[in-house]
Amino acid sequence: MGTSITRRRRQELIIGVGLLAVLALLPLPIHDVYTRNLIIITVLFAGLAQAWNVLGGYCGQISLSHALYFGVGAYVSTLLLTRAGIPPTIGMFAGGALAGLMALLVGWPCFRLSGHYYAIATVVVGEIGFLLALNWDWIGGATGINIPYRRAIGDSWLWLQFRIDKLPYHYAALAFAAAAWLVAWKIEGSRWGFVWRAVKDDPVAARSLAVRIFPSKMAAAAISGALTGIGGAIYAQYVGYIDPDSVLYGQLSILIPLPAVLGGVGTLWGPLVGAAVLIPLSELTRSYLGGSGRGVDLMIYGALIVLVALARPQGLASLVGVRVRAPAGADDAATA
Amino acid sequence: MQRRVLVVAAFVLAIGGGVARAANDVVIGALYPMTGPNAQVGNDARAAMETAVEIINGNHNLPMLLGKGGGLDKLGGAKVRLIFADHQGDPQKARAEAERLITQEHVVALIGSYQSATAATISQVADRYELPYMSADNSSPSLNQRGLKWFFRTSPHDIMFTQAMFDFFRDIGAKTGRKVKSVALFHEDTIFGTDSSNAQKQMAEAAGIKVAADIRYRGNSPSLSAEVQQIKAADADVIMPSSYTSDAILLMRGMHDVGYAPKAVMAQSAGFAEQAFIDAVGPLAEGVMSRSAFALDSAKARPAIPAVNALYRARNNKDLNDNTGREIAALIVLADAINRAGSMDEDKIRAALIATDIPGDQTIMPWKGIKFDSTGQNIAATPVIQQIKGGAYHTIYPFDVASEDAVWNVGK
Repeated sequence: MGTSITRRRRQELIIGVGLLAVLALLPLPIHDVYTRNLIIITVLFAGLAQAWNVLGGYCGQISLSHALYFGVGAYVSTLLLTRAGIPPTIGMFAGGALAGLMALLVGWPCFRLSGHYYAIATVVVGEIGFLLALNWDWIGGATGINIPYRRAIGDSWLWLQFRIDKLPYHYAALAFAAAAWLVAWKIEGSRWGFVWRAVKDDPVAARSLAVRIFPSKMAAAAISGALTGIGGAIYAQYVGYIDPDSVLYGQLSILIPLPAVLGGVGTLWGPLVGAAVLIPLSELTRSYLGGSGRGVDLMIYGALIVLVALARPQGLASLVGVRVRAPAGADDAATA
Repeated sequence: MQRRVLVVAAFVLAIGGGVARAANDVVIGALYPMTGPNAQVGNDARAAMETAVEIINGNHNLPMLLGKGGGLDKLGGAKVRLIFADHQGDPQKARAEAERLITQEHVVALIGSYQSATAATISQVADRYELPYMSADNSSPSLNQRGLKWFFRTSPHDIMFTQAMFDFFRDIGAKTGRKVKSVALFHEDTIFGTDSSNAQKQMAEAAGIKVAADIRYRGNSPSLSAEVQQIKAADADVIMPSSYTSDAILLMRGMHDVGYAPKAVMAQSAGFAEQAFIDAVGPLAEGVMSRSAFALDSAKARPAIPAVNALYRARNNKDLNDNTGREIAALIVLADAINRAGSMDEDKIRAALIATDIPGDQTIMPWKGIKFDSTGQNIAATPVIQQIKGGAYHTIYPFDVASEDAVWNVGK
């Protein structure tokens, strides 16, 4: 049985690397910036959803405060850049570290609650973060922070600034999404992964098997928060402007898990599949139907989410033939 | 006979085709929230901008800039064509849509965008691609302070709006001999109220006016009775509220309930500009003053207003307001600059924008005129002060565009 799991995991890794290569080459024949932008946002959200999946999927803690970690990452790296002149390639890791710390701070009181109560508590915490940033003048308040294009430096990887070229941002987002995927892959096969899934499935049974529940949740939260923070830093650098409404608002805490939920919670491929469907759909419907001002785009978008939820509650990833855990487990049993 | 018809038809076709080829459309991208909570603003903006295009392209013989003749004469009668994009009030989407308009629709300039946060990213994209962004209605003072070469704003920003209030205090004081000696600031606690009251505090100090009370309250409160008592106790010459609709109603009713009749109320637009406010408090609103960038009743000084308003009304079945007036003005200024540039070359358009010097009476706005400083801000955009009389706002300041005399009870 052990060898079967190892073989499956090796297969997944090979598919992952292959997919990475395809995604790296994907924007090369595409020259219009609009489509490139679409691909970048999709890849970024695939990474963010995967980051959420670490806590929400594998550990089963439905967090609705990921906008906070996203915002902390975006603000820390941006403030380090605009106030201290530290390049965002360094600042994003500081932002990630602080976002991870923030996730621990949120987890400390909130993990004492379980189920829906935990989810509700995180909504409140996210809202507090939003209001604090809105009224904190030193970090720009509601006016936000502008990240100017420094002509003296020009296009630079160190400073992660490119005037018109989109390709570098694509690789930055792709590196982030790949890292998030790799973390999830690593977790799936590790002792932590098994422990977290036990916590998710039945905390009482897990405790009876000497699983320490609280530290498990805290570890998942820290990893998830830190990854989300790095994503926020890349987003800030890409968009060039942040304010509480764009990086800390409550809706973002829904948008981040949405691809994972649609694609398949707690699966390796769910967030990626979900993002690949959701993000292009929302962007394209807005661009080509939104200008009419009748909200048709939002209706179509909403209807699709409802349809998927009805037809495939286990997620889209199961639809495209990607192996989700349940059948894989059955296979293992058969070969054992 | 048949042959003659054919010849005429061929002739018409030849001319038509020739004109169409010579006069390529001038394509401008407009970015607004067309869906989401502010969709109404975006759809009104669309009607306003389409009205402006109608004025520019058609021959309406209006007494204003580009009001006569069809199309842009220095570009062979070229027509202006707008492409709208929906940014939903999201800076990231605004950025993506701006890039799409530039690279796929090949617009020569951008215009927008209601929320200041979306203008922050749109103007940045415009700066990177080096084509003009015309801010029609964004009011954050920080937007033109970012060193962008391609940012232009026809409208006044929030500090200019507040300045107009204190200019009015000075001028009405000199005119009547009854000066403002103290003010009570009353503001909600988000960015709008905080920024507004900060500017008011600074300007009051600079003008030697005492701030008798500075009351900050939680927006959308269920009750404001404690705050109203503070206002009554301070008994300042002018109460200066920065409030949204429900708080504005609570304030006016609350003061009435405790038997306090303020000498003057000078509001920072927002809730006080809403028809819902006037409807709700009825006679209590009489005499309330507010600021505005546009004055529908200044037709004497701006003769084009009635005709422009009629064109807009035909499209949207409402009168022009503060936002839609500014949107029409901004698009016409932009089209005029493209016309003066006589070219669709971005650098020439920018040079023409910098050289802009339009007197106020050539527009529908009550401003002194349109003249951009080195940051792209129109420094001649002088807001008006309006006062409610008979359930409607009438312009009382600046005195040269006023339609009514101010009712001024301070010092009586």
